[in-house]
Amino acid sequence: MSAPSEPSSADGLVENGRDTDASPYGAGHPLVRYVLRRIGVSVLLVVGVTLVTFVLTNLVPGDTVAANLGQQAAADPTIVAAYRAHYGLDRPLSVQYLTYLGNLLHGDLGESQQTHRSVAADLSAAVPATLEIALGAIAASILIGVGFGVVAAVRRGHLADSALRLVSVLGISVPTFWLAMVAFYVFSYQLDIAPGSGRLSPATTAPPTVTGLYTVDSLLAGQWATFADAVAHLMLPTLVLTLYTVGLLTRFTRSAVLEVLDQDYVRSARAKGLPGGIVLLRYVLRAGLVPILTVVGLAFGALLSGTVLVEQIFSWPGMGSYAYQAASHLDLPGVMGVGLVVGVIYVLINLIVDLLYGVIDPRVRVG
Amino acid sequence: MIGSTSSRGRGRSLALVAAAVLTASGLVACGSGSSSGGSSGGAGSGGGTLVIDSSFDLKTVDPGREYELTGQMLTKGMYETLLTFANNDLTKPVGDLASSYTLSPDAKTLTLTLAQGRVFSDGTPITADDVVFSLQRLIGMKGNPSFLLDGVTVAKKDDSTVVLTSATPNAALPFILPNPALSVVNSKVVTANGGTTDEKDAAEKYLNGASAGSGPYVLKSLDVASQAVLTKNPKYNGPDKPAYDTVVIRNVKAATQVLNVQKGDSQVALDLSGDQVKSLNTGKVTVTSGPSAYTIFLLLNQGAAVSPATSNPQYVSAVKKAIDYAGLLGVAGTGAVQPAGIIPSLIAGTLPPSDALKQDVVGAKSALAASGMAGQKPKLAYPSDLTLNGLSFQTLAEKLQSQLAAAGIAIDLAPAPVATELDNYRNGKEQMGLWYWGPDFPDPSNYLAFAPGGLIGKRANWPATAAPEINAVATQAGATADTAQRDALYQQFQQSLNASGPFIPLVQPPSNVVTATSVTGATYNPIWTVDVGTIGAK
Repeated sequence: MSAPSEPSSADGLVENGRDTDASPYGAGHPLVRYVLRRIGVSVLLVVGVTLVTFVLTNLVPGDTVAANLGQQAAADPTIVAAYRAHYGLDRPLSVQYLTYLGNLLHGDLGESQQTHRSVAADLSAAVPATLEIALGAIAASILIGVGFGVVAAVRRGHLADSALRLVSVLGISVPTFWLAMVAFYVFSYQLDIAPGSGRLSPATTAPPTVTGLYTVDSLLAGQWATFADAVAHLMLPTLVLTLYTVGLLTRFTRSAVLEVLDQDYVRSARAKGLPGGIVLLRYVLRAGLVPILTVVGLAFGALLSGTVLVEQIFSWPGMGSYAYQAASHLDLPGVMGVGLVVGVIYVLINLIVDLLYGVIDPRVRVG
Repeated sequence: MIGSTSSRGRGRSLALVAAAVLTASGLVACGSGSSSGGSSGGAGSGGGTLVIDSSFDLKTVDPGREYELTGQMLTKGMYETLLTFANNDLTKPVGDLASSYTLSPDAKTLTLTLAQGRVFSDGTPITADDVVFSLQRLIGMKGNPSFLLDGVTVAKKDDSTVVLTSATPNAALPFILPNPALSVVNSKVVTANGGTTDEKDAAEKYLNGASAGSGPYVLKSLDVASQAVLTKNPKYNGPDKPAYDTVVIRNVKAATQVLNVQKGDSQVALDLSGDQVKSLNTGKVTVTSGPSAYTIFLLLNQGAAVSPATSNPQYVSAVKKAIDYAGLLGVAGTGAVQPAGIIPSLIAGTLPPSDALKQDVVGAKSALAASGMAGQKPKLAYPSDLTLNGLSFQTLAEKLQSQLAAAGIAIDLAPAPVATELDNYRNGKEQMGLWYWGPDFPDPSNYLAFAPGGLIGKRANWPATAAPEINAVATQAGATADTAQRDALYQQFQQSLNASGPFIPLVQPPSNVVTATSVTGATYNPIWTVDVGTIGAK
């Protein structure tokens, strides 16, 4: 996936300008035009993602029939023929792809060969499960990682800097699956202060589905015990993912802030006698936020699409586990669905990050 | 545009949310230790919840379509079959929904008399029509398990008698019928929800949300990715009274199962390796170890165009003699055994241990020299991402490579993911292959796949014409109904395979069932892993 890029004026962003004829936020407003154009491009990107995923999935050596039918069944031509017909595998690849696109327009992502359910139903359960830990992890990471990075930069060369850099290196370099195992062993098994695996305890019934986020759905249903159980189960996987992302954000924030700290305008601000806190927040951090935002966007995308190992350890039925199962069984509709969702996630995050650039930096603000 | 004031306000809100979350989690964490221990129950205690941790390979729990280990276990808990294996004695099928059965002398006709008074979970009586519909649906849907009744027709003789007729002698039929895929479903319920006896059947979706059987439990909820919840069937009137109100079967990897079962978060763990069970605190859990019914074997391709080395009989003999079979058991862990033939130790017709292949390094070297293939370096293909009951195929392949090297036999390892390597295996392209066979049903006839021209024989490019004498024994064994005669024929078949066949039985990996000390009746069965209906509590 592409990294979020700083938008250029050629993309529709006008430096320091304002279209006085456009009504605020009407269709003619440059911001609205820009967003609509980006959404149009995003749709094309998503179609491109489906094509690439389809081609790559079909290039993988191996037969999906062999991977999904038993040995005896795969040797029976009538069973194989029925299987191929059921999943449309008996049609030419081009027809399969066009059929997929046609169904996609109706929100139909096909039937998973692994779960025998619609891929849309599978993903509507798996995506919120992953989103629930990823949202918590990214929120905590921003608070802690940016804070650590700023402190490390301001206290460059001091003990605090060294300590926080060590934390950062540890966070990035320690494998998350190992961290997950250790966290599970220590906090759940040895200390018994965290619950076991899964999203809920076995005796707890899942709340009625509204968003798929158990914390939100249990609150909506007024099920306080379920909410507490869901939050307790969230803590460890969220903690593990947070530690990795904190390391990443600390490192990037430190580097971004250090770069700004040496700028002339920062020295000028200090020379004017502005308090240190004001200089740090209004001049340093705001200027350093653009690269930090880029990393946050990428890290959030990675959290949503790359939590497979943590999900395996905590028996978390999220998108990572689903993607792994689909890929290892050559479940073409499942793989396509995951590819599509991950593609949409990255496209959306890129769009949001690009819009936030304008919020942070007036030089790239839409006129 | 967002100004600095709103930023501060947002920060405060986040801090409040974080504080609330931490407070809530702290409360729950404090309570979790006490609640986890109270989940077990059973017949003696009159209910409770049983939690089983298993590494899922689940696709569906529709009896006519499921054919994965997890699906077999769940279906066994919710449905019943005409015949079953009592006390896990795989050598003798006994009545379940059928009270008795008779196999004709020519092994072509199986007549079953239905037990009287048995009912489905909605209280309606089980009839011969339900039996016929269930089996015809399995055959007609052409799903994964349909092959089990290949060439079999099902007919109702009268209200209490059903007749299964095979086109060819089929002495294995009584051993096939206990398979949970052949469960009897409530035909009225299934038909009302799209069920048919052909490929148009559309009842799977319904059956993945509700069960329509007569087993000790019924389906409450199913998420094939994470867990299944079964509850007691209040109308059940069979022999195995359900001991728990609720059974939760969760998808948990082995590394996490170890911790869950010791902590008391689960009461049964099904996927622990030999090394993992060694580390368990036996004061907290009970470990039952023994050989599984899987046979891990080496395949040597007999196609000269595929591999001049492995198609050479002397080379095959050299490989058989070069392997240190006892050394492989050390890799497999506690409970593993060496299969004496291709049929594993739990199944009728197995060879005595004295007939097993033995290491003879000197003999291997002389056979290698006689083959003239010492300079060859065939590739050993295997599914590198596959772990069977804790035994990694990667580890096993590396061990084999070093053992063969000690006898002067050089091979290259060719690892690949199972999903891609299966294609090469099934198309007979592997020079050497490391695979396993699990019984579809516990009858020696299932191993005729290893006969020349059989399913696996073809994958080794070993046609019936290559070994007509072995093929003749296999054919005769498959057509014989008399138990003693067929056992002797299957033994003769395996002795011939050991002597000159292209397959080398290596190891039966262990099966470990770990339970809380309060749990009883969780014993390993190669077809349905454990029978949820017979698990009870002290």
